[in-house]
Amino acid sequence: MTGAATALGSWLLAATLAVPLLFLAACLSARLRSTALALQWLAPVPALAAAILAMGGGPLALDWPALRMSLKLDLPGALILAAASLLWIVVGAATFSGEARKPNERFAVSWLLTMTGNLGVFVAADLLTFYLVYALVSIPAYELIVRDGSPSSRRAGGVYMAFTILGGALLLMAFALLAAGEPRGSLRIDDVMAALPGSPWSDAALALVIAGFGMKMALAPLNGWMPPTYAAAPIPAAAVLSGAAVKAGAIGLIRFLPFGAPLQGWGEALAIIGFVSAFYGVAIGVTQQNPKTVLAYSSISQMGVVAAVIGMALASGDASAPSKVAFYAANHVLAKGALFLAVGVAAATDRHRDRWPLILAAVLALSLAGLPLTGGALAKFALKAPLGYGLAASLANASAAGTALLMLHFVTRLAGTSSGGEETEGPAAIVRFWPAIAIGAIFIPWLLYPAIGNPLNTATVPTVWDGLWPIAIGAALALALRRWGASLPRIAEGDTIVAVETAFNSGFALGGLLERLDARLRQWPAASLSLLTIALLLAAMAAYGG
Amino acid sequence: MSASTLAGLVGAALVGLGLYGFIVSPQPLRKILAFNLIGNGAFLVFGIVARKGAAAGFPFDPVPQAMVITGIVVAFAASALAAALILRLQEETGNVLLDSDAPAKPPGDEAGAS
Amino acid sequence: MIETPPALAATAGGSLLVLAILAPVAGILLSFALGGRFAERVALGLTPIGLAIAFAIAALVWRSGAPLVYNVAGLPPPLGIALRADGISCVMLAAAALVIAAAAFYARANFATPKGVMEARAPLAFWILVQAVWAALTILFVGGDLFNLYVALELLTFAAVPLVCLSGKPETLVAALRYLMFALFGSVFYLLGAALLYGAYGTLDIVLLAERMRALPAVWLAAGLMTAGLLAKTALFPLHLWLPPAHANAPAAASAVLSGLVVKGSFFLTVRLWFYVLPALPGGAAEAVLGTLGSAAVLFGSVLALRQERLKLLIAYSTLAQIGYLFLIFPLASGAHPWVADGWSGGIMQTLSHAFAKAAMFMSAGLLAESLGHDRIAEFAGAGRAMPATFFALGLGGLSLMGLPPSGGFAAKWLLLRASVAAGQWSWAIVMLAGGLLAAGYVYRILAPALSAGAIVLEAPPQRSREAIALALAIVAAALGFAPQSFFDFLEVGRAAATALR
Repeated sequence: MTGAATALGSWLLAATLAVPLLFLAACLSARLRSTALALQWLAPVPALAAAILAMGGGPLALDWPALRMSLKLDLPGALILAAASLLWIVVGAATFSGEARKPNERFAVSWLLTMTGNLGVFVAADLLTFYLVYALVSIPAYELIVRDGSPSSRRAGGVYMAFTILGGALLLMAFALLAAGEPRGSLRIDDVMAALPGSPWSDAALALVIAGFGMKMALAPLNGWMPPTYAAAPIPAAAVLSGAAVKAGAIGLIRFLPFGAPLQGWGEALAIIGFVSAFYGVAIGVTQQNPKTVLAYSSISQMGVVAAVIGMALASGDASAPSKVAFYAANHVLAKGALFLAVGVAAATDRHRDRWPLILAAVLALSLAGLPLTGGALAKFALKAPLGYGLAASLANASAAGTALLMLHFVTRLAGTSSGGEETEGPAAIVRFWPAIAIGAIFIPWLLYPAIGNPLNTATVPTVWDGLWPIAIGAALALALRRWGASLPRIAEGDTIVAVETAFNSGFALGGLLERLDARLRQWPAASLSLLTIALLLAAMAAYGG
Repeated sequence: MSASTLAGLVGAALVGLGLYGFIVSPQPLRKILAFNLIGNGAFLVFGIVARKGAAAGFPFDPVPQAMVITGIVVAFAASALAAALILRLQEETGNVLLDSDAPAKPPGDEAGAS
Repeated sequence: MIETPPALAATAGGSLLVLAILAPVAGILLSFALGGRFAERVALGLTPIGLAIAFAIAALVWRSGAPLVYNVAGLPPPLGIALRADGISCVMLAAAALVIAAAAFYARANFATPKGVMEARAPLAFWILVQAVWAALTILFVGGDLFNLYVALELLTFAAVPLVCLSGKPETLVAALRYLMFALFGSVFYLLGAALLYGAYGTLDIVLLAERMRALPAVWLAAGLMTAGLLAKTALFPLHLWLPPAHANAPAAASAVLSGLVVKGSFFLTVRLWFYVLPALPGGAAEAVLGTLGSAAVLFGSVLALRQERLKLLIAYSTLAQIGYLFLIFPLASGAHPWVADGWSGGIMQTLSHAFAKAAMFMSAGLLAESLGHDRIAEFAGAGRAMPATFFALGLGGLSLMGLPPSGGFAAKWLLLRASVAAGQWSWAIVMLAGGLLAAGYVYRILAPALSAGAIVLEAPPQRSREAIALALAIVAAALGFAPQSFFDFLEVGRAAATALR
């Protein structure tokens, strides 16, 4: 890269975080607030530019030693960031500008906070910055989910927060372990990951990384929070959360797992978790009726595929896999975001007069299953090398068939959606621009693909055939589902979450026990005896030494 | 038995008595007395210390004496403050037991707003 | 005349320490003399002066990188009494000055002398007591002599107890009496320990004691007695019988000072004792006991906070839990290990961030209670829309308690976690993570109903200026998360000398 391009890259990288922060700062002023919030869809523009630059000309990096902060945008980050910033721009513009009914300020500020964090996770290059932006993409999203304040959305918000906070705690511990393994005290992600193989805590750190980011990606069995959350969130929020915010987990796995040297054990374990999630999501998803819930289960399945491929690459030491997985994830950003918007579009259009919106949605849905010539076909092709030709490749094909089944089920449910309810109400602009959005989501991956390979390789006859037969199987299964689907068991939205909630509530019994203990301990004689005991105990311990 | 040993034993006995009263007695007034007993035990220990300083060759060690005087003033102030609180409580409720009437959640909703 | 050893010699600018103590004392005397409505003016006028002195001391210590020392009447220890300000003294002095200034301006609305009255009892008492708390804390933070510190500790108790019962309601009187009684119990333990130490070494000066310290039975007993006494005043679990009712029933401004600063006074002295007087003891076991008690406090206090129905009680139980974190400094910062710097920085950072965050939360709770007429959490629905700034301050303070970035609480937790990992002492790490989860639970319990929709009628909207004060403190707690490395180096000033003795 030339000097000028490097300088431009540094500026764009800084602006990726700084511009959304400036919008946030503008919200502090009552005079600027409404303007800043209406224009906040412009805030990801520098991020998009930085991503395009990084895809074309190699990684961008920036260090501020004084702030102990460093930023870096490599190819995997740039691929997802490009798709994510595009999604934030489009959905944000539809939601906050124009004549649409204005959402309240708190919703808009939470949107901006979530977006800032989301853009940040792809560029953060040290542990503390990453943790900060990760918290930012996770926690303010609560407000996006419970915006209407109904009991079901508050329950969903509570479940979401519980998983988020628990995942955050696991990651904090993981980061502390990673930092402790770095002998020079550096907090840069590159340094701590380089030191990881020699660290005595590497196993614990890896387990915590997988568990923490796995919760964010809703891998089975930690998937329970996602379906109720997306079902409760308003359409635009569900679109950006499922499309972009979830990828914070994917980039987390890419950043915090050591690729390049074969890592037996953990790689296989992650691959198994991933494939289980991929099929589990399909199996539960087909029993669901709410199209948003079906999409949520599809996300569980798709994130399972991402995790499985990362696991395979980890086991084989494939250092080129992260970019390819990132491409797969980038395609999912656009497709899943647009599919959630489709729910709003379907609710707002008269199907009998205008069938095109539904047809576009169906193509988009099958793109996720790898329909030839769509972005999904490219994504599927990108995973070919990391998966190899063995069992994993067969499983991936089977999961594509499953996705086709689930997506056709989604289209059926979409066709049966009736308008009404705040949960399915999308911004009017989405309906007007739906064809452009859908076509963009289907074909924009073609623009991203040159960063990882030659797109023309994907248009060969065997590849097209590879893309078609899983869809054919999926279609046959979907017909069977239509015929016999009524006899499937009804499974609660969020499956395991009901059991988790029951266990959680029974934990409160322990609280009652502690409350009684507190009443005892706060009796005068008990407290004074405690004081005396502590004095003697400390004296004895001081004498005993250590 | 030397005077120091005797003073030490008396000090220990005072502390022990005071501790017993402090732990067992539910009445605040007795607790104030118990507090003073323990305090006086501590002052006796300081007294012995001053004498030990003298035994080590100094004619006397004035610092512990200054400490004891300060300590007595502090203990007096503490007792006075406690007595004032007890009196006030007696006026308000007619009941000055510490445990029985100290609920974790005070009655009345306005308590937090004060 | 014997040459004074360098560790005991006074330094230039040491007289600032005297000034720091004299300023609030002069304020108290002036308030007594002038009486009536002048007490408020004196106290408010004093806050900028006190702040300036605290920051001047910090600036001097920062520049020289060595503690500030003053020998009263020019007489060095053991006969004289020394005042010393090292890194942690400076940050605590500054924190105390900030929180007290904030509390004073916040309290103007509650403790103004009514028009047409020359003097009202509760306001006069409040303004004098606040200055007394300030004076006592200042002596605690700069005192160099354990007996001198005992007197300061008693002064602090005498000033803090009446703050609890300013309203004169029976339940506040009971709370105050329990507080006083248990604190006195703690005091005599400390006094007994001090007597034993003096008997063993003939001095109570911290520097001299540290030099002469050997493991003797009298020292073991003294360490146990003094520490237990201090724990009683800090309300470390299971010695917390007085704290929840006292902190929950005091007026909001007083609660802020009590929870934010007063419990830190006795904690600070515990730190002085174990890190500056006793480090020569072969250590480990006693520190582990302190850490264990702290861990129990974290878990126990957090669970109980989760179960409270009233906001102020919830915050009070949260104080109980947060005090627990402070005690992790003992196992994680003692000894000569590579991780002790992290443990030390983390522990002190927790002390500071909790002071600001908790003061902000109590002030916000006070505003809420005044505007809603109650502080029952279950009935907060819609309050978040009616009083956004108040809830923002509550939430920002809560962020620090949960240990989420960006906040001082996060910085503290991160440092303590690193120390516990490096030390291989996993149990503390697990406690910290569990405590963070529970804290998130109780902060969620406050904020979630408030953010949901609901119609709410405010008896009176909160004053903007008072909301701003609470918010400013919460922002300080959050901003501590951005403290640079030089700040943590500053915390080590004066500690190197103490650890070099081992």
